[in-house]
Amino acid sequence: MTTTADITATPVATPRRPRRRSRRIPSWVKWALAVGTPTLLLAAWWTASADSSNTFFPSLEQILTRFQQLWLFDHFLTDVVPSLANLAGGFALAAIVGVGLGFVLALIRPVRWLLEPIIHFVRSIPPVALVPIFITMIGFGNDMRITSIALAATFPTLIATMDGIRSVDGTLKDVSVVYRLTRAEKFTQVYLPAAAPQIFAGLQVSLQVAFIVMIASEMLGAATGIGALTLTAQQSFMIADMWAGVLLLGVLGFVINKIFDLVKARILAWYFGAKEAQRAT
Amino acid sequence: MMTAQRWRHSARPTAYGVIGVLGLLLVWQWLAVGPLSGTSLPTVAEAIGALVQMLGEGGFWEDTSVTAGTALIGLAASIVVGVVLGILIGTSQLLRFATSAVLEFLKPIPPIVILPIVVLVLGPTTEMTIVLVIIGCAIPILIQTVAGVFDVDPVRTDTARSYGMGRAEILGRVVLPGASPFIATAIRVSAPAALVVTVVAGLLGGGPGLGQSLYQAQTAGDSARMYALIIVLGVLGMVFQAASQLVEAKALHWHESKREVQA
Repeated sequence: MTTTADITATPVATPRRPRRRSRRIPSWVKWALAVGTPTLLLAAWWTASADSSNTFFPSLEQILTRFQQLWLFDHFLTDVVPSLANLAGGFALAAIVGVGLGFVLALIRPVRWLLEPIIHFVRSIPPVALVPIFITMIGFGNDMRITSIALAATFPTLIATMDGIRSVDGTLKDVSVVYRLTRAEKFTQVYLPAAAPQIFAGLQVSLQVAFIVMIASEMLGAATGIGALTLTAQQSFMIADMWAGVLLLGVLGFVINKIFDLVKARILAWYFGAKEAQRAT
Repeated sequence: MMTAQRWRHSARPTAYGVIGVLGLLLVWQWLAVGPLSGTSLPTVAEAIGALVQMLGEGGFWEDTSVTAGTALIGLAASIVVGVVLGILIGTSQLLRFATSAVLEFLKPIPPIVILPIVVLVLGPTTEMTIVLVIIGCAIPILIQTVAGVFDVDPVRTDTARSYGMGRAEILGRVVLPGASPFIATAIRVSAPAALVVTVVAGLLGGGPGLGQSLYQAQTAGDSARMYALIIVLGVLGMVFQAASQLVEAKALHWHESKREVQA
């Protein structure tokens, strides 16, 4: 039994209760804490590492200098852009195939029975483990990377779409029959919006998987890409370069996820609004 | 009539599933001897042969137990770190606000990003793998624990306090049980993730276990063994998933959310 809860980590929602807190903390303290702690941590890193002689932990100043030299803009076009292009291409493929196949599997029972065991098996394989297969089959080029990313990232979206569509409210289905909606209308105006929250949850997991596989596909013996540069720097003991790479990947991981959040909030605005209204009553 | 219904509801999907798997194997075999015969794709027989041969090797079982064991140790450590820190942060409003931005930043960053640093400091060892698993799994567990602690009904804690329970007793008997569904969900999701991180650490960082075997098979060009290892990893992944679902269901059978599902 698989539900999207498996991949989205959303626990069972308990009804909201009004909160009573005896101690009220003024909001400026909250803001000061939320902004202050990261600033303080960075400052602590800066000063603690300022005259670091430890080879593994160079000073933050050095890391940032290398960061600027490497990524802005020396390797930007040759490594950062191709990495992100692979990520975008692989993710786009995964999204299309995942949503499309999810629709087919949810609506056509024999196809679902036919493919479900295979899907559950393949998605249990750690996604990065598929990269070596594609390397030996396709080589180290961008084709291999996009294929690896796309295949690994398809499954979360596929399973979420399947679950989302299968759990579409029966009343909705009946109403669309009563109104004699055509097949196309049913798909685009009933099923797709009803399953959208779950599809987006799946897409978000897919994006994270795609990001991981992007890095892995570059770390396994390729010469270009952010991951490749970072691992090569580590292996050739250019420690500040390695830290700069890790920093870039970390920031990218955060930014990509944030962009997705924004897109999701925009497209699903009606859904979050409805939930908010429900909660208020 | 009855048997026909039964056949419809239970046996038919299984029969279709078997047909699907057999069909996949047929396509694989056809690809391996036909259009892709020059490439690294082994035939089904070669892959299964490699798998059978592998199952007879002591080294393979050692690698498998190392992988499973490392993932479990890392998961256990993540649970301890995540739950303890989560309760600490969840019960203090000040700490929650202080850590929110940092956690929000760290949450979407996968452990593979930190891998070069951890490998640099600890080398290709089991400790390296465990540290990487903790980095990957402790943060989601921590965040869910904080959410779970925050979700505990204040009326319950107030009631416990008015009954004269101490802080420790309230924590153990009210807050922790109240937060447990959140924690359990986080653990269920983290268990397969721990396995994934362990394999990644072996594949990219050289940590001992099946990931490393896969890397060796790849560099040796032994594609039959590679496919056999992938099959093993898929089975292991399914075992981890099933086990974590079972543990969650068993551990939380008393909780109202689970009781509702069963009813």
